[in-house]
Amino acid sequence: MRLEYINPFVEASCEIIQEVLGIEVEKEELFLKETTVPILGVAVLIGLTGSVRGRVLIDMNIDTALKVATVMNFGEEFKVFNDLAKATITELSNMIGGRAITELHSEGFSFQVSPPTIFTGTDMEVSSPHLEAFIVPLKTPFGRIEINVAVKEREDN
Amino acid sequence: MPGEEYPNINDRVPDGVKPNGGHFKIMVVDDSMFVTKQLTQILTSEHYEVVAIAENGEVALEKYKSLYPDVDLVTMDITMPKMDGIECLKKIVEFDKNAKIIMISAIGKQDLVKESLLIGAKNYIVKPLNRNKVLERIQNALS
Repeated sequence: MRLEYINPFVEASCEIIQEVLGIEVEKEELFLKETTVPILGVAVLIGLTGSVRGRVLIDMNIDTALKVATVMNFGEEFKVFNDLAKATITELSNMIGGRAITELHSEGFSFQVSPPTIFTGTDMEVSSPHLEAFIVPLKTPFGRIEINVAVKEREDN
Repeated sequence: MPGEEYPNINDRVPDGVKPNGGHFKIMVVDDSMFVTKQLTQILTSEHYEVVAIAENGEVALEKYKSLYPDVDLVTMDITMPKMDGIECLKKIVEFDKNAKIIMISAIGKQDLVKESLLIGAKNYIVKPLNRNKVLERIQNALS
C-alpha cells in the first residue's frame, strides 16, 4: 500500500481534531495488520472508491466518543451515546474524510468517498480480506483515537 | 429627556434582521442532525429564522417549492442520500433562477466548488464550520 494514500488521512485527522476540539494530538507509531483487527467500541467507516478500493475506519472507545461529542456540542454533556452523539462522531469523521480526499485530489489522485457509517458495540472486529491495514494511533487528552486505513489500487487501472 | 430611553449607539442590528424589521428566512439542508443543530444555533444567534430543515435533496426541493417565495437563502450539504446537494441545487435553480444557495461540504475539491458556482450557488463553505465564516458568507449572499 502506498504511503501517499495513508498520510492525508492521518494529517487530516490530526488537523481536524485539533481545530474542532481544540486539543493536542500526538501521533504514535504506525503499525501494519494483515488480519482481523479488533475495534474499540465506536467506529466510523468511510468507503473509498475510484482509482482505489478500500476503507478508512476512525475508531475510539465509548468514553472518548462521549467526551468528543460533549465538546463538539458546546459543552452539552452526553452520558449515553444517543443519536445526536452518533451524528456528532459521524460528522467528525466526515470532516476528516473530506479533508483527506481534498488533499488527495490536489495531489492528482482520483478517489471518491462513501457517506460515513457508524458502528457501536463491544467485542467487534473488522476484517478486510486481501487488504493490509495501516493503523495510526493518535494520543489525545480524551483518549486514544485510531486511524485505520486499508487501501489497494484497482487492478484495472 | 429625563426617563426617555435612547438606543446605545454601539448596539448593532443582528445580521438576520431585515431593514423592515422582519427576519431573513433560511432553509438548512443536511443529513446530519449534528450539522443542522450547529447551523441552527449559529443562524438564530444572529436572529435569522430557520424556516425549514431537510435531510436530503428530495425533501429540500419539495419544501423549497411549498415555501416559495418565503425562503431567502438555502444552506445545502452535498453528500446526502436520495438526492445529493448538486442535483438539488440544479433543480432549485431551474425552479427559481434567483434562489440564493450556499453549498456546505467537508470536501473542498476545486472541481466540485467550480461546478457548484457554475450551476448557480452563491458561495461554498468547507467544513469544519466556523461561526464567523458562515455568517459572513450568508450576509454577502443576501446583500
